[in-house]
Order: sequence, then C-alpha cells, then structure tokens
Amino acid sequence: MASVSFQNIEKAFGSTKVIYGISFDIHDGEFMVLVGPSGCGKSTLLRMLAGLEEISAGTIAIDDKVVNDVESKDRDIAMVFQSYALYPHMTVGDNMAFSLKLRKADAKVIAQRVSNAAKILNLEPYLARYPRELSGGQRQRVAMGRAIVRDPKVFLFDEPLSNLDAKLRVAMRAEIKALHQRLKTTVVYVTHDQIEAMTMADRIVVMHDGRVEQIGEPLELYDHPNNLFVAQFIGSPAMNIVNGTVRRSTGAAYVEAPGGVRWPVGHTAGADGQPVAYGVRPAHLTLGGGDNAVAGEVIVVEPMGSETELLVQAGEAQFVLLTHGRPAVNPGDKIGLTVDPSMVHVFDQKTGARLAA
Amino acid sequence: MKRLTLKDATTEAKLLLVGIPVLLWTMLPIYHLFLFSISPKESAFAGKLWPDHPTLHNFEVVFRQQHYYLSHFWLQLWNSLLIAVTVGLLTLLVATGAAFAISRLKVKGGRTVMNLALFTYFIPAAFLAVPMYKTMGNYGLLNNQWALILAMVTIAAPYSIWVLKQASDKLPYELDEAARMDGASPLQLFRLVYLPLMMPSLVAIGTYALLLAWNEYLYAFLLLSNDRQITLSVALGNFLAADDSPWELLMTVGLIYALPPAAIYYAFKRYMVGGLTAGAVKS
Repeated sequence: MASVSFQNIEKAFGSTKVIYGISFDIHDGEFMVLVGPSGCGKSTLLRMLAGLEEISAGTIAIDDKVVNDVESKDRDIAMVFQSYALYPHMTVGDNMAFSLKLRKADAKVIAQRVSNAAKILNLEPYLARYPRELSGGQRQRVAMGRAIVRDPKVFLFDEPLSNLDAKLRVAMRAEIKALHQRLKTTVVYVTHDQIEAMTMADRIVVMHDGRVEQIGEPLELYDHPNNLFVAQFIGSPAMNIVNGTVRRSTGAAYVEAPGGVRWPVGHTAGADGQPVAYGVRPAHLTLGGGDNAVAGEVIVVEPMGSETELLVQAGEAQFVLLTHGRPAVNPGDKIGLTVDPSMVHVFDQKTGARLAA
Repeated sequence: MKRLTLKDATTEAKLLLVGIPVLLWTMLPIYHLFLFSISPKESAFAGKLWPDHPTLHNFEVVFRQQHYYLSHFWLQLWNSLLIAVTVGLLTLLVATGAAFAISRLKVKGGRTVMNLALFTYFIPAAFLAVPMYKTMGNYGLLNNQWALILAMVTIAAPYSIWVLKQASDKLPYELDEAARMDGASPLQLFRLVYLPLMMPSLVAIGTYALLLAWNEYLYAFLLLSNDRQITLSVALGNFLAADDSPWELLMTVGLIYALPPAAIYYAFKRYMVGGLTAGAVKS
C-alpha cells in the first residue's frame, strides 16, 4: 500500500505539449479514477507513473520517494493493460508467475501466490491453458492475476474494460471493485467512461486537454461540478444546458433563455444581465404544472421499464427529462416542466466557471 | 450438401487446365534427373520414359566414391552441410539481433542502417564476387571455408533483417511494456518473450539462409579451390570440365544434393505456421 503524489507534471512529445502542470495526491489505499475524453492525457499520466513514458517536468513520488528516474520494474507497481498484453506462448500459470520468476522468487512462494491469485479470480481451472484458449473476460482476469501475484504498492489499470462487451463490463466492474475492497491496495484507474468512474472510484480526477478540471468524490462532482465541462461530462443522461441571461430586477430571479422561456434560479447566481449557461440534470426536471412551470412539448418518449426518458422542446432548446414510473404522455402533448431552483447549476458563459449557487 | 453448379465446374476446369501443365512443367526436369540416376551409362541418352534396365548402380558408385570426380564425395557433402548450417545460424544471430534492436528497442538510426544494408541488393551479387575475392584475399581467408561462410552471411543478412524486422513490428508493443513492468531486462525480454514469439519467422529465415548457402555455386567456386575444401555444388561443376562427363553420375549426385533441402523443408514446415501470437492482445 502506498500514496502517490504528482507535482507540476508536464509532458511534451517533441514540441507538442499534452500535459500542462498537473498536481494532485492519491491517498494510501484509495481507488482513484482518471477520467476524460480521449486525448485528454489521462493515459499518458498513468504511463508516466508506470515508468513507460519520460516525465518532461515535475515529479512523481510513490510513498514520498521521487521515482522520476527509477526504472518501472523497481517502482513496485503493476499494470493491467487495455489489450491485456498476455504472453501468448505461456500458460495462464506461467503468465502470472513470470514477474516472480524474473525476481528469482522461491518456487514454493511462486506456486503459493499464483494459486492464491487464481483462487481470488476464479482462474483455478484454467492455469494450464494458453491465453488463446480463453474468453475475453478470462483473459482480463489473467491480466489482473499477473498484477495481483506481485503484491505491488500500486495497481495501474489502463482502460481495462473497454475491450469487453457491455454485459461483461458491468460484471468486471463489480469484480474489480470487490477486489479492491479485499486487497485494499492503492489503485489508479484510467477510463473514458464516466459511469465506470462514478461507480468504482473513491475519488475522480476529471481531465480535459492536459489539465485537471476537478478532483473529488463521485457524488461531489455530480452535485457540484466546478465548471461547464465537468457538468456535461459527469452524469448520464448528460446535463441539459441552455444559454440565457440572468434577470433579477423584478421579484424572483430567473434565467431568460431564447424563445422567452424563464428558468428559475433560486440563489445569488450571476448578476442581473449576465450571460450564463443554465444547467439542469434530466432527473431534476419534473412533469407538471405549477406557477413556475415552463411550457414544453413532448417530442420523443423512451420507455425503459423502471424509468422513462422524455425529449421535450421548451422555447428554442430541447431538454431531456428522466422520470421514474411511466407518465401518460405522448409525442405532441403540451406539458409543464418544473425545476427545483436549488438543484440547478449556473455557469459563466465565457469561462465556464461555476457561479455561486 | 452443396450442389456443384455449372459455374463451379467451369472454374474448377479452368484451374485444372492451368494447374496440370504447370505441374508437369515443374516436374519434368526432376523426372529427368531421376531417370538419369537410375539408367546405366550406355542407355542414359536413350530418350525413353523409363529405362529398360533400371539400376541403382550409379548410387553405389557415388556412395563408394568409385570415380575420379567423386573421390571426396562424402567430405564435400559434409562441407556443404557444415557451411550451410553455419551460414544459417550466423545469419539468424546477426539478423535477429538487428531486428530486435531496430524494431523493439527502437535504436536511433536503426532504420537507416537497415535501409543501407538493403541498398547493397541494388548491385547484383555476381558483380560483387570479384571484390569479395579481393577482400577475402586481403584478410588471408582464401581457400578457407570461413571466407564462403562470411560472404554468404553478408549476402543473406540484409534480406533477413528486413523480413525479421517486419515480423517483429507485428508483435504487440504492449507485450514489451508488460515484460518491462514485470521486471524483464532487455536481454530477458529478448530471450523469454521475443524469441519464442518470433519462432516461425526465425525458422523461415534460418532455412532461407541455409538453402542459399547450400545452393551457392559462384562464390564457393571463387573462394574455395582445394578439393578437400570445396562444397559439393562446386564439385558438381567440375564434372563438366571433362570431354566425356559422366552424366548419369552427375545427375545421381544432383538428386542426392537436392534431397536435404526437401527434408529440411518438411522438417521445419510445421514451425512455419502463423497464429502463434493469438491471444496476446485483443484485436
């Protein structure tokens, strides 16, 4: 177990800069997820921690020991690759034992650790098989087993589930999380899938264009996104965003959107006349008329069983509404949309920064 | 069950129409070789499809070295084998190391070196024979089998490096990274991961270099002259020096000389299969 610390990390490939001074700490035993769209630098950051990429500037420390110039094999970390990277000419057992054999570990210790890892991962019947004889999920587990046998200070996962089909992905998600709760080893996990990030992480680092947008616990990011990017990236279905202008001259404050629609804001977000991006999550919109209701027209109804997703036209913008149950609405119906003003998010239109709310 | 349609039948017929003549065309010289080797000297040129009195006498003469031209048959066969195997192994050593350095370790300038080596193929090997003779003379290697070995490795290496480099480019790079993180040094990576996965290509290239040296005549003829040093291919060439060449013996030795390559091919064929990296990474 170990803590990891990034200090002012920069990375450039030739003259192309891909990471601009990133700093954050990962606590001992924490499950930290780096999430962001492709090209945001999350994998590069992980590979620098792994020792597979040079660090252009800044320092990376594991347990307060700077590892910039330490070879990857001496950093005491293990990595699970997106493509599994199993040695095809070795059996499952040999794949898992490889690192220990290279370290000249005692044969008894090797056998014991491999069988232990195989037990944890339900790989015992497959130890004598070759990777080509395994299914995708089994290969994925072998890749994890290879990491587990080393009992490293930190586990690194580089998009380990993106090659699996949807059903298996959900199952493996739970398996990895259970594994972490059992082993309590520090984990750094890279993914582009915000659902994976939300469901697995103790804390999430949201990255975008080589910078950190926000660091926090999953629900903190969901409830209080620091900026427009995080607001739109975290949460599924994505947050509804509409541009408008703050009006707080008469009575209750609201944001006036194109088409004359008035969206309520309950707090002190934005000054009168300030152009803002107004955001509300699909789950925080409710159907029904009230004094503050916004008039809309149903365009699409998507029943999903326990929930129903509606696409609604309000003014010049379209909104997604997620509701439990099965509301009796059809496309073309005129409806009212109600918003709890304490649940809305208001961002500066230019900078994208969150305005006090 | 699939029914044979007229179209399928026509396609099949066309293929056979091309295939059968090509097969005959290829087999005809080999058949003649065989025919000569089982014919008595007097009827060797009788022009029959099968000799009246087929005999194995020619083989007996060859194996017992009972002819002036054949006085060193076994030694020369051994020379051919020794040189061919050494060339195969040396070429593998050089080419595998170079391909690993260029493709996996990404040594700076590696590609340039490979391209320069390939550039030597712009000049036909025959033109380089005399300069090579001069060079070997400078090193005092003339009439030494090392001269032929080094010359053949020089000729075989560029192509071998290129082929092996292409093959190793296809190995997933994540394997190297995984091995590095597992604690493998470059040499361990080479030995424990790279070599096993490259085996099919290595067998193919080793066989290529071996056969290249086995079949070589010009360089062997130039660089070796002593009857006890030369390879069997040069000895075969010497048969033609006489006015009344013993054709039936020449063909017999030729047939014998053609057998090891065929044997090597069949022995190593099963290694030359693809799919060895299956299961390494998701593709």
